[in-house]
Parts: sequence; C-alpha cells; structure tokens
Amino acid sequence: MIGFIKKDLFMIKSNFKLLGILIIAYTLMGFVGEIDISFILPFMSVMIMISTFSYDNYNNWDAYSISFPDGRKNSVKSKYVATVLMIVIVSIITTLLSFIISYASTKTINCEQILISMFGTIFGTLFVLSFMYPIIYKLGVEKARIGIFLIVFGLVFIGGFLTNYFNLSLITKAILFLEDYLIIILIIIAIIMVYISYKISERIFNKKEF
Amino acid sequence: MENILEIKNLCKTYDNFALKNVTLSLPKGMIMGFIGENGAGKTTTIKAILNIIQSYRGEIKIFGLDNRKYDKKIKEDIGVVLDDMFFPEILTPNDIDNTMKGIYKNWDSKMFDDYLKEFSLLPNKQIKTFSKGMRKKLEIATALSHHPKLLILDEPTSGLDPVARAEIIQIFQSFIEKDDCSILLSSHITTDLEHIADYITFINRGEIVLSKTKDELLDKYGIVKCTEAEFKKINKKDYIKYRKTKYEYEVLVSNKKDFKAKYDIAIIDKITLDELMVLMIKGEE
Amino acid sequence: MEIIISNSSGVPIYEQIKEQIKVKIVSNELKENELLPSIRTLAKDLYCSVITTKNAYEELVKEGYIKNVPSKGFYVAKINKDVALEEQLNKIEELMDKAVTIAKMNNINKKTLNEMLTILYEEDK
Repeated sequence: MIGFIKKDLFMIKSNFKLLGILIIAYTLMGFVGEIDISFILPFMSVMIMISTFSYDNYNNWDAYSISFPDGRKNSVKSKYVATVLMIVIVSIITTLLSFIISYASTKTINCEQILISMFGTIFGTLFVLSFMYPIIYKLGVEKARIGIFLIVFGLVFIGGFLTNYFNLSLITKAILFLEDYLIIILIIIAIIMVYISYKISERIFNKKEF
Repeated sequence: MENILEIKNLCKTYDNFALKNVTLSLPKGMIMGFIGENGAGKTTTIKAILNIIQSYRGEIKIFGLDNRKYDKKIKEDIGVVLDDMFFPEILTPNDIDNTMKGIYKNWDSKMFDDYLKEFSLLPNKQIKTFSKGMRKKLEIATALSHHPKLLILDEPTSGLDPVARAEIIQIFQSFIEKDDCSILLSSHITTDLEHIADYITFINRGEIVLSKTKDELLDKYGIVKCTEAEFKKINKKDYIKYRKTKYEYEVLVSNKKDFKAKYDIAIIDKITLDELMVLMIKGEE
Repeated sequence: MEIIISNSSGVPIYEQIKEQIKVKIVSNELKENELLPSIRTLAKDLYCSVITTKNAYEELVKEGYIKNVPSKGFYVAKINKDVALEEQLNKIEELMDKAVTIAKMNNINKKTLNEMLTILYEEDK
C-alpha cells in the first residue's frame, strides 16, 4: 500500500505549488479581512486527490496495477488513506495559520471558534470524500463531478425545504444538549461514514473488469 | 512443477466475442510466442491470467498454483508489459522506482537504474516526454527489475526501431538463460518469434488453432505452390488449408518431406509464421 | 568456435548447428573432453531458441560425438575417428552415386567423370 500512496503523492507533487499559493493567498486574505476560508484548503486538497483518478484512468493505471501483488486491495485502500491523511494534515496547517492570523490581527485567539471550524471542515470534507469516492469508482470522475453537483444542490434544496416546513428548535436544542459530546459524536460518525464508503468502493472495484 | 503456466479450458463470453476452451502450457525455461489477429483473444487471455478480468471459467495455474487462490503470492514473481497500460505519464522513472520499492518484495533499484542507463532514459523526466520506443523500454525495465520468474508481455516491441528491438530481444534471451524462467510473448513481429521462440501458440477468433514447437512449424510444415491442375491431384488428407491466389494455389502442409515423397510438385517452400497465419485464417479446407 | 547459420537455406537450424559442431570435432578443432557452451548460452549467442540447440546437442549425444555430464554440461566425447570417417564416406558415396546415374543417363563416360573429379579436387588448392 505504501507504494500506491507514494505514487499518488508523486502525482500531486506538481499541485503542491498550487496548494502553496493558496496557503499564501489564504494567509494574506486572513490578515486583510475577516473572511473565514478555512474550508477552502482542505476542500481543494480533496479535489486534487480526485484529479489523480483522472490521470489513472487516462493511462489505464488501474488495470496495470492489478498485476501487482494485492493490486486491487491496495489500490482502493491507498486512495482512502492518502486522502484522509491529506485532509487531516491540510486542516491542521490551516488551523495553525488561523491561530497565527487571529493572534496577529486581534491579539487574541478565539480558540473555540477556530477549533470548531477545523472539526467542521474535516467532517465536511470527509463527508464529501465518503460520497464521492464510491461514485467515482462506479461511474468515473467526470460523471461523479456532475453527481456531486446534483447532490450538493439537492441537499441545499432539501435543507431549505426542511427549514421552511419544520420546526428546527428541537434539533437546535438537541445540538446544544449534546454540545460537549458533539465533537466525539462527529468523529465517530465520520469514522463510520468513511469506513462504509471504503467498503462500498472496495466491493465496486473488486468486481470491476478492464 | 514442469509447467510454469497452465491454462485449461479458459472460457469467457462478451457480447460479440468469446474465448472458447483456450488451453495452453508453457514449460519452465521456455519462450512461447502468442500470435493471432488483432481481436483474436490474445489480450483477453493475458487479462484472465492476471485476473484483470475475473468472471471467466476454466483453470489457470501459475507456478503450479491456482491463479485466483494464490494471486498475491504469484504476482510477486510475474513481470508484466501490457499494451497501453502503465504508470500515469506525469510521473518520472524515479517516481516509478520509489513506488515499486513499496510494492514488490524483490524490487531491485540498482537493476532498474542500470536499465535506465543502458536505455539512455533520464530518471527525472516525465514519462510524457518520452517517445513511444522509450516508453516501451521503460515498461520493460520496470517489468524486469523485481526478478520475476515469468514475463507476460503483450506487444513489448511494438513501436521500437529494429536496432532497439534487437537490444530488447537480447535482453529477453538473457532472461531465459536461467532455466527456471519463462516468457509468454504476444507479438505481431513474427520474425523475432521465428528466432527465439521455443513454442508458438496461434489463437483465432477466441480459439486455439495450434500450439506447437516453433521448430516443427518452420522445419516440418511447408507451403506448396502449384497450379490448379496439380492442386486437384492432392488428397484432402494431405494438406491443412489452401488458398487460391490470382496466379497460383498456396497449400499448407504439415510435413514437407512426406508430401514431397508422395507428390511430384516442384515448389515446397519453408513457411514463415506470417504466411502460416494468413493461410490458417484466410485459407479454405 | 564459429558457427554460421543460414536462415534461408532450407536446412533446419538444429541440423546446421549439429553438422558444424560435428565437423569441428572430427577435424579436432574441438578437442576431446573440451567443454561446449551451454544450451542456453549457445541459443542466445546464435539468436535461436533453446529447443533448437537442445535438439542439436541431443542428436550429437545420440550419435556419440558429445556426452552430457549432469550438472556440468556437454563435453566432446572420445570419438571413433573411423566411425566419423565412415559417415562422411557414406555421404560422398551417395553423392557420387547420383553423379554416376546422371552420367550414365546422358552417355557420359567414366574417363570424363574422372577428369572432372581431378579438376574439382585441384581447384581448391
């Protein structure tokens, strides 16, 4: 599996520059204004990982990699591990930057807000990962991008629908009640979500023929 | 274990093509040339061996082990060059080296490096900057550098100029110098096979047409060229296929000597693999 | 040792190899107990297949020109020069027989044949 992860990292090597530019841009924007773009970097890193699927497809890498020992298993596992690692690392970097920016501009550090932002971002990107990857394995990257667009659109629509017709005070009360445990609950949900996604992707890929 | 690769009754059905009872055996220390038209089933057979396609029927044994049950173990010792399937082209040979270190137990960085030098491939350039020939050489270097016992090669010399091809064929023959290593080589460049192949397996429309030693095909088989009148005198049992061209009849026979003793026809030529293929595919019985 | 293969001669490659090695053994270019190249190395150097060289060596063993020492390789055997000579004499006799048949069919007499033989023999010098 290590070999596969290294390969994906080598592939996004050229995109590291893009990330570097974004980090600088983020830092600058953070100093200039109050814009909280803490979700952009992790989200971008997922998008970059997803682009590796395109490159793989173009060179028929998937078929070739099946000729390696444990090729099928490692192929899927490594993508998930690599993506999760990237999300976590980039999120931590972003959070550290947020601390620095916060201290530099306001001489105070709003710890709670920044940390909630970080966990929220990690959860959000893991959610995107969990949804997108099985779709990518089943339908390919292009169709998946369209699918994601539809899903996000649909969720926003449903969300708006729900807020109009349902009393959300119960939910907000429940959230406040669970506040202390919220983070742990989110972590557990995230782990379960990613695991189920991985199992589904693994099954789809194992059945695939080239 | 006598045979490094054994395929028995491999069957796989697609919408408009099917492999039917493909059976072949490749002994240790030998090179088998796998020939056939495009679309005849060579690549499909190779994909089945490697489990790139999985829903096939039949038995495939490599190193004496079932290829599905022992997939992981077997693949440590198989080197592969496939048609149009390789590393993403934004990677460099160095990236390949570092990747493979974490994939094969026996990956030999020094050997890979030596091949890169021998083929004049710059380790830090992206694959997409390489010419077709250079890419093939890189694929071959990659296949060889983990000390495999079995090489499965699908058109490994396509796109290579004659000089490069000669280099590569030499490398294959060096590989075979160890008598427990074998090569399954699918190629349209039959002249190479006519020299170094020990066995030739010919597949047509999903079925194995013949699987014999190359020497038998080139030494014993022959192509008789004669007039219509002469052809009419030939007993159907004494030839395999025939073809009527504008100026003559071409007849494929399995034993030049016997045929010569029986019939008084002047021209019985040594056959080439290309001629054999064309006669078998386009000839009539 | 030099072995020269013709791909277009119509003579099977294994036979060409066999005959050339035989000649070298008979002429003592290859000495008794000399180690021959391995089957695989020879195949590689002659750009032919392993089965071909294996065939050549197997026939040489059968005909008594070389011997196979397991795990060591093929060595030139102690050949009975008379047997080897006999084989070549038989070949010559066969060819001479053909020449005589053609001569008789065309009313060419023995004297003419003898003259031709002398000329041919002298030519190579």
